[in-house]
Amino acid sequence: MTDPKSHTLLEDAQGLAFGATMAAFGIVVLTHLGLVTGQTAGLAVLISYGTGWGFGPVFFAINIPFYVLGYRRMGLAFTVKTALSVAALSGLSMVMPGWVRFADLNPVFGAVLFGFVSGSALLAIFRHGGSLGGVGILALILQDRTGFKAGYTQLLFDAALFAVALTMLPPVTITYSFLGALTVNVVIAINHRRDRYIVT
Amino acid sequence: MTDPTHHSLIEDTQGIAFGVVMAGLGIHVMTHMGFVTGQTTGLAVLIAYATGLPFAGVYFALNLPFLWLGYRRMGARFAVKTLITTAALSLLMAVLPRWMELGTINPAFAALLFGTLFGIAALAVVRHGGSFGGFSIVALMVQDRWHIQAGHVQLAFDVVLFAVAALILDPVMLGYSFLGAATFSLFLAVNHRRDRYIAA
Repeated sequence: MTDPKSHTLLEDAQGLAFGATMAAFGIVVLTHLGLVTGQTAGLAVLISYGTGWGFGPVFFAINIPFYVLGYRRMGLAFTVKTALSVAALSGLSMVMPGWVRFADLNPVFGAVLFGFVSGSALLAIFRHGGSLGGVGILALILQDRTGFKAGYTQLLFDAALFAVALTMLPPVTITYSFLGALTVNVVIAINHRRDRYIVT
Repeated sequence: MTDPTHHSLIEDTQGIAFGVVMAGLGIHVMTHMGFVTGQTTGLAVLIAYATGLPFAGVYFALNLPFLWLGYRRMGARFAVKTLITTAALSLLMAVLPRWMELGTINPAFAALLFGTLFGIAALAVVRHGGSFGGFSIVALMVQDRWHIQAGHVQLAFDVVLFAVAALILDPVMLGYSFLGAATFSLFLAVNHRRDRYIAA
């Protein structure tokens, strides 16, 4: 058995690989149903729907400026893990639609499935010291500088995203999207506990 | 924040619900491809393929005798949680084909995906004190009585299962099935650590 207090390189690699694969699978489900979501991935999905560009390249490009911020706030290991996770998700989301196709998918089940899959993806990536970049880092820096809670910044960002989505998509699609985003957040809120998964 | 060392009822419920949905999706992918796997799920899938009976019914019926053994060895609480978990999974398997119809899937990806999904499902359910029941109880009882390691008993069971499967499936399908089962075992071996996830 390896040291319970810290992950080996191999353990981190499999954790991040799991996270990127599950997150990409979540994006395949989400975009198959034409739904949107919150945070940086949500912005990338919206831009992708609006312009016809692929999710992968857009998500990758949006995240580039955040690496500088991430490096200054969270250090090198976090930034490298984040960059690798973001690159893996971008790449996988480009090839995975060719690997798995749905003939038919119930949108309510699809939304909950997206939430579970993405929630566990983020959980694994967080527990292995990385992130999927983007707005979360910005929100943390804003909290450092002004004291404005990071959670509220993310909430406001999502509210703006969903407001824009409302002008592009029918209300029923927004409702399913909301169910999916809610599921992700509940999974993270209940299970992201550094006092339970004690490895740092 | 709830007590870090103990899960609340809601926390256990969401953990087991997550596990059931991930296991259900894994089985859905596996049976769509015509793959097999190890343990009780593997036995149920072999019987379902050979007889044409629905997997959900076979899986549930197969688990009933193990439930009785589980009650005697591990107590009522464990038996009830196992009953709820296996009943929920059987129910989900009965409705899942209506909620999600799969198209073409790359077989290597399908194998990695079902192995990973089984892995995360087992991890979540075990961390939340549940179980998918089945043969592992017998393995534990054999260990108690004859001092043969439970892991070795399970391995022997899987060897027999794959030997029978070799009579039914062609070698390529057997190879993909093995890849999936190996992914599952490896995932659990790396991540099932009570010294890292300390809540019970």
